[in-house]
Amino acid sequence: MSEEALHAVIDDLGALLLFTMILIVAAGQIYRAIYAVSAQSLLIAIAAAVLATATGNRDLWVIAGVTLAVKAVALPWVLHWIVQRMDIRREIEPVIPIAATLALSVVIVVASFQLTTSLGPVRQAIAGNALPVGISLTLTGVLVMATRKTALTQMVGLFASENGIFFTAMAVTQGMPLIIEIGVILDVILAALVMTILVLRVRSTVDADVADLDRLRG
Amino acid sequence: MTGERPLALVLLEMTLLVLAGPLVTGAIQKMKARLQCRQGAGVLQPYRDLTKLFRKGTVQADTASGFFRSIPVLVVAATVAAGAFVPVVRAGPPAFPLGDALMLLGLLALARFLTAVGALDAGGAFGGMGASREMTIAPLVEPVLMMVVFSTAIAAGTTELGALAAHRGTSWLLAWSAADFLGFAAMLLLLPAETGRIPVDNPDTHLELTMLHEGMLLEHSGPGLGCMVLASHTRQIVIVAVASALFFPVGPAGAGVVGVLVGAGAFAGKILALAIYLALVESSYAKLRLFRVPQYLGVGFVCALTALALRIL
Repeated sequence: MSEEALHAVIDDLGALLLFTMILIVAAGQIYRAIYAVSAQSLLIAIAAAVLATATGNRDLWVIAGVTLAVKAVALPWVLHWIVQRMDIRREIEPVIPIAATLALSVVIVVASFQLTTSLGPVRQAIAGNALPVGISLTLTGVLVMATRKTALTQMVGLFASENGIFFTAMAVTQGMPLIIEIGVILDVILAALVMTILVLRVRSTVDADVADLDRLRG
Repeated sequence: MTGERPLALVLLEMTLLVLAGPLVTGAIQKMKARLQCRQGAGVLQPYRDLTKLFRKGTVQADTASGFFRSIPVLVVAATVAAGAFVPVVRAGPPAFPLGDALMLLGLLALARFLTAVGALDAGGAFGGMGASREMTIAPLVEPVLMMVVFSTAIAAGTTELGALAAHRGTSWLLAWSAADFLGFAAMLLLLPAETGRIPVDNPDTHLELTMLHEGMLLEHSGPGLGCMVLASHTRQIVIVAVASALFFPVGPAGAGVVGVLVGAGAFAGKILALAIYLALVESSYAKLRLFRVPQYLGVGFVCALTALALRIL
């Protein structure tokens, strides 16, 4: 695959990643956010496969496979399972209105594009728009985590944020060492498991959500 | 197929659009009916409705002013004129000075404004409510539509739709740049809003309080109502044609009558694809509450803005 074609494909995937991110921010129902983050992970896996064919780096194929299995299938399935298990209301509870969150996410996207232009030579070395797209995915994921009251939607934000980091790392280094990537994915799985258990336990003992846990009692 | 479009061709295309408008509505209605496991009326039903309306007499509210009578004619004139700006059988700029995409959107906005004025003029409660709602939605839809046009116009360096379609070329997804994906997503979100369909508006009912566009037509009758209905058919096909000119490939090359026929066939295919999309969306989504509509359109706005950002930055 030629250099230009690679840049174009990574650019296109970046645009689709941004679109899934917009869907996550705009999702009024938790199921939609889960499906969107699953689609986002699928796109990340495709990006890894594309980079693998372009660079001939075999580790990236493993990464693509693991991403597909863990982040696009297993973790969304776990989230889905918790949602059903907890029988929570369909609406997700934002701290600020969703429209305001959308506006903030636009600011983030524009700012990350604007700021990375000053990194001229660095950005030239990276495939396509991967750097600004990755940064905006990461920051928007943090935004989602910050503006939602329920732990589950915050988990969705965490996964999206992690996807952003993954995408940037992949594009910048043309494939990190396998051991690091596996470590990162294991971290995510562990975080998801801990949060799942925490959510279920907190729910079953005090019937509260993270928004209610704002005071420390001695 | 590209090249300059002479006056005769532009007029032919405009006529074709107006004639095919009701057919698109009929096709969407038929598809919706089939998706609901109904037989449904034939695809030619909108034509029958129109001929029936044009044969009827007119009844007018006592409170309506003299201007009320001329509104349907003005609305249909503005909408049909907007149809002249869309390339149909072949791409390429017109051979004579004509407006661009902004002119088209302006004419559609004018038609919308006149419709709302007519609804307020007649003094009916439903009309006023429909008008106020339509005017609430319109300023959310139109800027986004304009940004979608801009996001493709920046790449081509022109806002003339024929030239934009020519710039798009015959290749499709392979030639799409990153911004096109987001622009197309925004366009797909906007299409139901702009054509007055679920999840923003419900075209099937005259009786619900949730309606936007239909509420404004309640006071019209006979040929006047026929004109308004024809205008909304035309508006729908014009918007769909704009979407296909901006994002879909132009038809294969050809010359003379054969070229025109091939171009018309390709155009029909593109319109049909978007009509299927509209029918699917209408069948699978519920109408949004009015206060949720800005959020839905906000997604389109963000997509369009991001497309623009990708293009510029």
